Amino acid sequence: MDLRTASETLSFLRELEEKAAKFYEELAEKFPGNKDDFLLCAKENRKYNKQVQMAYQSVISDAIEGGYAFSLEPDDYFFETDLPEGATLKEAAQKALAVEEKIMNCYSDGADQSDSLLADVPRNFRMILKKRKKRLEKLETLG
Amino acid sequence: MALLDEPIKGVPMAENYIDGEWVESKGEIIDVVNPVTYETIGRVGISTKEEIDSAVKAADDAFDDWRRTPVVTRCRYLFRFRELLEENFEELSRVQTQEHGKCIDESRGETRRGIENVEVACGMPTLMMGDSLEDIASGIDEYLIRQPLGPFGVIGPFNFPFMIPLWSAPYAVATGNTVIVKPSSEVPFSQTKITELVEEAGFPPGVWNMVHGGRTVVGGMLEHPDIQGITFVGSTPVMRDVIYPGCGNTGKRCIAQGGAANILVIMPDCNVNATIPGLMTSFFGNAGQRCLAGQTLVIVGDDNNFYNEFMEKVTETTRNIRVGYGLDESVQMGPVRDVKKKESILNKIEVGLKDGATLRLDGRKPPEIIGGHPDTCFLGPTIMENVSREMSIVREEIFGPTMGVIRVKTLEDAIEICNESPYHNGHAIFTSSGKAARQFQYDVISGNVGINIGIVAPMAFFPFSGMAGSFMGVLHTQGKEAVRFFTESKVCIHRWL
Repeated sequence: MDLRTASETLSFLRELEEKAAKFYEELAEKFPGNKDDFLLCAKENRKYNKQVQMAYQSVISDAIEGGYAFSLEPDDYFFETDLPEGATLKEAAQKALAVEEKIMNCYSDGADQSDSLLADVPRNFRMILKKRKKRLEKLETLG
Repeated sequence: MALLDEPIKGVPMAENYIDGEWVESKGEIIDVVNPVTYETIGRVGISTKEEIDSAVKAADDAFDDWRRTPVVTRCRYLFRFRELLEENFEELSRVQTQEHGKCIDESRGETRRGIENVEVACGMPTLMMGDSLEDIASGIDEYLIRQPLGPFGVIGPFNFPFMIPLWSAPYAVATGNTVIVKPSSEVPFSQTKITELVEEAGFPPGVWNMVHGGRTVVGGMLEHPDIQGITFVGSTPVMRDVIYPGCGNTGKRCIAQGGAANILVIMPDCNVNATIPGLMTSFFGNAGQRCLAGQTLVIVGDDNNFYNEFMEKVTETTRNIRVGYGLDESVQMGPVRDVKKKESILNKIEVGLKDGATLRLDGRKPPEIIGGHPDTCFLGPTIMENVSREMSIVREEIFGPTMGVIRVKTLEDAIEICNESPYHNGHAIFTSSGKAARQFQYDVISGNVGINIGIVAPMAFFPFSGMAGSFMGVLHTQGKEAVRFFTESKVCIHRWL
């Protein structure tokens, strides 16, 4: 069933961000040499959650009701976070890049879909996308 | 999808709040029903004449001290109140959904809009500043100060149980007046929750009172000589026949906001994909129970291809609207508030069909209700075509999830239909032409005008305008106009010899 309302879409994004944050915390434990990098990613994910929540609850457009703002298929953004036993840092970074790609797709599609209704939410989605692109560059250098 | 938690537990009694005390009404007690489950979720008293008199006395007694409280101090109470509203944001929103039936996104929007009015009122030290000019004649200075008047009555409707009293009450108390809020007895818990936070914020007794009830309370407010003014939001007949003349008879100030039958104009050059979600939320958001809801869609031009393709998309999107309990985050449209309102909407649809309209989408029998709730108060969205401008489904307020579609040749024809409507609350146009948008804005008679906006709801720092059958009075609620409404202008001229 597709996600249509702002409420359910933001709940879904919160889940994605939290799942990814936990993944980064696990990576921090597994790869102490890059602990700070991964913990920073986890922290940022939770900050993005707050940022989006603030945009949703703080800015009124004609359709704060937001019941018709999205049409996202959750399966399109599903990602696995399991790493094989003894995975290298490079493999972990590849997995992280795959996770990031899914989350970024969700923000990108959501921004495009809600542009005409939710004003500040899509703007914040794009701000997060911009920041995440920098994260991709960092992840690509690992391993 | 799992339901969000219901905040109203058990079957609580919504009590009055008078002079800083919670008191159960001695009047008739009625049930408050959740329109989704049709279960009783609480009870409320229909207060008596004596009870409203006692609230007015408390407000009047509190007035003198309150008006002498510096405005900066008065606003500190409001700042604290605002923080409490923010802390309780989610619970306040869910209360609205549980007692009214609107979707959680809609309730959160309502909560936010209410809080914004408190925020604007927190700026009262600046907002209520007067004017001054020295040397209006040699050695003579003149200035204007704004002073509060006394107790005000704030009468709220059922469709926005949280937000609408906040269009008035924060401005009234920030300017130094006292208030008595009367919520709709169908949905008393949103204001009850607000008033609990008023108490927690520490407002002195008598400054902010709440009395539940119906006609007796309204009549008591209108007749009472100590009430200085009334703000009312409700139906046009009550506004026109009860509130406005009632205020006139006793010399009260009055802001009276009534019904609407808004018209949304579609130009062939509109961005179709961006327009359709805006139409959905305008026509079917809050199940159409909103004085800024779209009721009639006027499509301009004689291009049959455009019309057919546009209506196909509108119909398909409408047909797929998810109906159910608003505490399910996936639900897009909740029920109407009660059975009588549902019957009234059905009757109006029937009249439209008898007048010659045809059903493109029949929502009289609701579609699948997510969660399997009883269909007692549920309707599906209805679209009617072959509608003409003289039909009652265009000219009379329906207040339900319906869309009547009219085709016209020119923008001028569309504006003419808007202007001959008995209501002028929130007409809108969807176009990519600046010229057409400007012409519409310039020529249309409407208190609030939308350009590519489906629900033309002004922000708290702008007045909630409205004209003709949708409004009676001079000044409006919200923003600077509310400040003027709740204050008297006193002009002083000084000469010192």
